[in-house]
Amino acid sequence: MATDVQVLQRPTLSEGITAFFRSPRAVPYLLLMPAMIVILAVVLVPLLVSFWTSFTSYNLTRPDTLYNFVGLRNYQRLLGNDEFWWAFGRTFLFVTITLNVEMMLGLGLALLVNKITYGQRALRTIMMFPMMFSPILVGFQFKYIFNDSIGLVNNALFDLGLITQPIPWLVDGTLANFSIMFAEVWMSTSIFAILLLAGLMALPKEPIEAAKVDGCNPWQVFRHITLPFLMPFVYIAMTIRSLDVARAYDMIRIMTNGGPAGRTELIWTLMTRTGYQNSQMGAANAMGYVSIILSIVFTFYFYRKLTAARTFMGGAQ
Amino acid sequence: MSRLSIEKPWQRWLIRFGVFVAMAILCVPGLWVVLTAFRPNIEVLARPAVWIPQNPTLDNFARLFGLSSAQQGLPVAQYFVNSLVISITSTLVAVVIGMAGGYAFARYRFKGKATLFLAFMLSRTVPGVALSLPLFIIWARLGIIDTSFGLIVVYMAINIPFTIWLTDGFFRQIPVDLSEAAQIDGCTPWQAFWRIEFPLARSGLASAAIFAFLTSWNEYALASQLTRTTASKTMPVGLMDFTAQFTVDWTGMSAMAVLIIIPALVLTFIVQKHLIAGLTFGGVK
Amino acid sequence: MAQVRLEKVSKSYGKLETVHGIDLEIAHNEFVVLVGPSGCGKSTTLRMIAGLEEITGGTISIGDRVVNDLPPRARNISMVFQSYALYPHMTVRDNLGFGLKIANMPETEIKTRVDEAAEILGLGPYMDRLPANLSGGQRQRVAMGRAIVRNPDVFLFDEPLSNLDAKLRGQMRVEIKKLHQRVQTTVIYVTHDQVEAMTLADRIVIMRDGNIEQIGTPSEVFEHPVNVFVAGFIGSPPMNLLDASVTGDKAVLDDGVEVPLPAGCNVREGQQIVLGFRPESFAPKGHSLHGDAGALTLRRVVAIAEPLGTETILYVSLGGMDVQGKMLNPRVVHPGEELDFTLDLTRLHVFDKAFGRSVRA
Repeated sequence: MATDVQVLQRPTLSEGITAFFRSPRAVPYLLLMPAMIVILAVVLVPLLVSFWTSFTSYNLTRPDTLYNFVGLRNYQRLLGNDEFWWAFGRTFLFVTITLNVEMMLGLGLALLVNKITYGQRALRTIMMFPMMFSPILVGFQFKYIFNDSIGLVNNALFDLGLITQPIPWLVDGTLANFSIMFAEVWMSTSIFAILLLAGLMALPKEPIEAAKVDGCNPWQVFRHITLPFLMPFVYIAMTIRSLDVARAYDMIRIMTNGGPAGRTELIWTLMTRTGYQNSQMGAANAMGYVSIILSIVFTFYFYRKLTAARTFMGGAQ
Repeated sequence: MSRLSIEKPWQRWLIRFGVFVAMAILCVPGLWVVLTAFRPNIEVLARPAVWIPQNPTLDNFARLFGLSSAQQGLPVAQYFVNSLVISITSTLVAVVIGMAGGYAFARYRFKGKATLFLAFMLSRTVPGVALSLPLFIIWARLGIIDTSFGLIVVYMAINIPFTIWLTDGFFRQIPVDLSEAAQIDGCTPWQAFWRIEFPLARSGLASAAIFAFLTSWNEYALASQLTRTTASKTMPVGLMDFTAQFTVDWTGMSAMAVLIIIPALVLTFIVQKHLIAGLTFGGVK
Repeated sequence: MAQVRLEKVSKSYGKLETVHGIDLEIAHNEFVVLVGPSGCGKSTTLRMIAGLEEITGGTISIGDRVVNDLPPRARNISMVFQSYALYPHMTVRDNLGFGLKIANMPETEIKTRVDEAAEILGLGPYMDRLPANLSGGQRQRVAMGRAIVRNPDVFLFDEPLSNLDAKLRGQMRVEIKKLHQRVQTTVIYVTHDQVEAMTLADRIVIMRDGNIEQIGTPSEVFEHPVNVFVAGFIGSPPMNLLDASVTGDKAVLDDGVEVPLPAGCNVREGQQIVLGFRPESFAPKGHSLHGDAGALTLRRVVAIAEPLGTETILYVSLGGMDVQGKMLNPRVVHPGEELDFTLDLTRLHVFDKAFGRSVRA
């Protein structure tokens, strides 16, 4: 057919781009353009900046240090810094423990509420409350409740005659770690409970009835039918949760701010202390990168699981 | 409703007891804060503890708005206005932009679709604290630090990915046939969207909007670094005004906490049904 | 006047071509049915005519306009979808009037035309209901009503009856036929159900794998299928197809049974062929459709008998295969019974084995 065309010229790049944006193929890209621009400007560019600063000795008090390239020194120092490694390990443990506890408690709560026939809607509404609380409020609330002299917990224990000395919930290192995890679990168990409850309510009856006819006991039905069906819902909840694990920062910021004596220091609190209080932006950004990678790894892991579970479910339908 | 398994009465009571305990743990902390908001400070510090408020008072709220002579007022009214302006503006823009994106993912096949979707989700993963560091540097240079505008732009960005996720799910629930039928009936694609698909997705979009609003309303990590003065400080940041180095104004903070909770609670009631549907549909189907 | 013309129309998704340059001419007011198994390209073809799919190659014209690059709204067509695609947030009245409203027609005229369509389809009592509160049959009517109010040049139907139960499907088939007689418009109708195709069509287009296999009136495709695929696809129960080889003027089946070939078959000695005959042409003596004159008599044992009331389907073994025969005016037949069957030799179909094409004169 090329012979019919008199002048066969390669379109220039700009002509090519113009042609593309007028074609129907461009529609989805045009629709996504504003979203991409905003993310680019507010997330991607800043990430590049922080990537750059993590290789400089940038100090907030001396702006010209932004161009003081120091190579991998910030990262080297991090690797040799005990404080950082403690915070990193504590963060990893904190996330792993709370996610698992939230999962188990959420599953238990969903199973319980699913058994209730009357007033289930009201229960679901109550379960949504912690989800809608600002993390900073959750932190304040538990800072108040775990306060050793005026807190609800100690007051109750006193009045019940269980203790004579106040328990230093937020002052003792171990107890403080327990307290922040308790607050975190309180805040986020609902997400699991609500999503798993939605899953339980969507559970088809036939496979369960078939399993019962086939002679499964209730545990076997749960293990082999209910649980596999719920897995995609577990992964949705895990993905949504790991998207912003770092919101625990707000809560810890107000409860302990890393204290006492750095015993609840997580990577997020350490990062802000280094960046804003000590003005060492370069080092803080290096830590920031470690925290970003941590978050992405968690999210990506569950997202892949979710995609896999979704195709698996698709095949069954 | 047919039961999947038959419980004995004692099992049923055990289940009810378990649910009661769980609900109590979920409700009591919040209620305690609300109660405190209506107590005089002296009752909070009393030994032994006073459980039921003996002298309920609105004084704490009056104090917040500078209506009480006892103490100088904090600019809470200004914080409240800042929070409203920032949350509403960023929500509206994020929903419009996110809706366009969600529609693209729901309706079109295009190169790099899966990667792009994942990229949007991962952009949401970046912890607010980590993002606040470079944003602080850049916003300071651009001169939009400590302005409502600066925070609005940031909140748009953190709300867009989740809005895309939700609206993608809602649009996928609407059969493509409807838009095609409308186009055969004489609509342009644009008309078909506004007259058919948009009205059908409206309740879903409303819940996406409420979710975005709450995210902005509740956010602390970014706001605490990008706002400095009354000009742009939001409610969660303002809450920290009550903590000095060694003392905490418990009743004042509780009163402010109630102010933060109320919009959240009201919106939760409105949104709950659609939100759950949106989260699960977006994920499973 | 709206004839529809497809010339070398093809459709590709990336490298995968699903419709391979088909040609089709549809006359004004003609009722044409595209039929074929799923994945044969019939729906894609319909959607290209509607403008819902881009055309990769060739041209489509409606009336004297080439519509290749026209959006659906500019083609003056209407379409009934498999899912009906009723707008869930609009009442029946608003669903029917939507297209007219978009065209900025005055309210009073919209009302007249909507009421007229409602009258034709008996939708009067349901005009203020939402689609969710309608039965399947009622939804189907609304979908058709929405199509007719716009007075289009061409009606497109995409498997409109496949979501209905068998009984309702029969009723709606009759209604569609009545509707066509009443509103006199070109209709293109897609289905995978050959019964629908046979009962509704002026002409049937049989498609497979993106190609047109045969175009013809229902009786043409039934009486003279051009190949094995069409022969097997049209007719219920399906045509019996047996492998055979040519010896002299006879076909020898795999079990050694010899069947005289009709005169003028284009075959050579020893050629592998496929011999086809419809169950109607194979019946116990005295129970056949066209009488027993000129028929071959074969004595066979009945394996299974399926009584259907006015006829009984009998399964017997022939040529190493199970073949079906249709017994008219039936008496009770028990499995294991041995009967004399007659095979109507004038209604034999002969295909070459290699290409599946008909070789009968």
